Amino acid sequence: MSEQDFGDLARRDTERHLLLAVDESENSKRAVMYVADFFSGNPDVFVTLLSIIPEPTDDFFPTEEKRQQWLEEQKNHMDCALANYKGILLSAGLNEKQIEVRLVIRHCTSIGEAILEEQAKLRCCIVVVGRRGLTHNEEFLFGSTSNRILHHATHCAVMIVE
Amino acid sequence: MTQPAETLREADIRALIARHAGADRVPTNFQIITDTSDFFKIEYNDVVLLGNVPYWMKRCEKEGRFGLDDEPKFWVRRAIELTTSATRILKLVFFEEFQTVIAGVKMTCFRSPKKEARLLDLVAGHKNFMHGRWVLDAAGNNVRILEFIRGPRFDDVVTSYGSNHHDYFYNFFPRVLDHFIELVESVKFLHDQGEKHGDIRRDHIIWDEERQVNRWIDFDYNFQQGESLFSFDMQGLGNILIFLVGRGDVLVPDLYHNQRALFDTLWGEDLSIAYKNRVANLQKIYPYIPDSLNRILLHFSQGTNFFYENTDQMLEDLSVARADMISLTGRQP
Repeated sequence: MSEQDFGDLARRDTERHLLLAVDESENSKRAVMYVADFFSGNPDVFVTLLSIIPEPTDDFFPTEEKRQQWLEEQKNHMDCALANYKGILLSAGLNEKQIEVRLVIRHCTSIGEAILEEQAKLRCCIVVVGRRGLTHNEEFLFGSTSNRILHHATHCAVMIVE
Repeated sequence: MTQPAETLREADIRALIARHAGADRVPTNFQIITDTSDFFKIEYNDVVLLGNVPYWMKRCEKEGRFGLDDEPKFWVRRAIELTTSATRILKLVFFEEFQTVIAGVKMTCFRSPKKEARLLDLVAGHKNFMHGRWVLDAAGNNVRILEFIRGPRFDDVVTSYGSNHHDYFYNFFPRVLDHFIELVESVKFLHDQGEKHGDIRRDHIIWDEERQVNRWIDFDYNFQQGESLFSFDMQGLGNILIFLVGRGDVLVPDLYHNQRALFDTLWGEDLSIAYKNRVANLQKIYPYIPDSLNRILLHFSQGTNFFYENTDQMLEDLSVARADMISLTGRQP
């Protein structure tokens, strides 16, 4: 993706630009509701609803066709979830011009790092994510996106919604 | 790397077997196979043709895992490459998917020939990995043809060192630590290319006697990652380090039965996250372990609040531990 693709959004760095990173989980929905409740009365706020789908390598699938099918299904699910989340923000009082929806399908070694790369490109001043409530052992084995963002974010505030 | 048309005839293959093993060892009957899909039908002494290279099939390889010692792996066969007389390991396509539980967490793993083939290409020039090539057979199966590594498992080498732990730690461990650091650096090489090993275990390191180097084997495991591609590899490295520092796993039941006073000093937080019956805080057992080294082990204990995210973080701490080991033992590895 070229720098050009971020031009419009990056210009919003004078505004109160929130990056609301979500997936299909309940904790993401809680984060969306929190943002809707907390920021809906503010006309200066701009929200980018971001979802990242880690692109799996071809070895996860017997054929390229199956891989594309899987990606299409993931994209459709996430498009639907993002539309619902946007609906929550709209019904809370934000208007269409205050919301951008962004779905990124890409290879990434860390979802948290990928979110922070988006934050840097879009120059958002706040990153908001939900917390999955992983057990200690789950975090040990798979890592934690919210912890990764908390520890590695620079030049922005981080809100983690429990 | 697709399979060219079969050109070798049975007479040619018989001549190659006779050249390799002697005329009296040529089997009376054998199959010539170009499609390895049904690997159960490939029998001892059959010949598999891959890229028009004939492989004289020998026994299945075995693996001790899941409590089933010496379980034969029917899809992993030792074979003689008849054009060179070299021993090879042929890994045939076996799409196995299964649930495993690690640290109380369920995860779905599967075997991926494509992943292993891709990594074989990636590590072709790297001394710390097994080497080999891959070929598509007549049915399009990705068969990996691996060089045979002569030598014992690294963990078996390590446990043979020293008359007791103190002797091992002062006289052998500095060298073992250098080997381990080299192994972590080789995993970093994979991670830097956006790849993971996927099945880092101590029985997947072979001490190559010819080249005098440790080599990682078996990269065909795969699983859907969570937040990080690397965290599962990191926990594998931690388990191995705990084993190496302890000259074997220090098991809680053994302490309970044989060293009750030490057992009574342990808390839950001292145990390994991945395996609750193993001690990770080994300084409680062997007080001469330097703090810097023990701190690395504690990252893999139940009491930790900070996990290594990548090999760079671990290597940084290992370099401090290495310096402390030299100070402690007076040994330059």
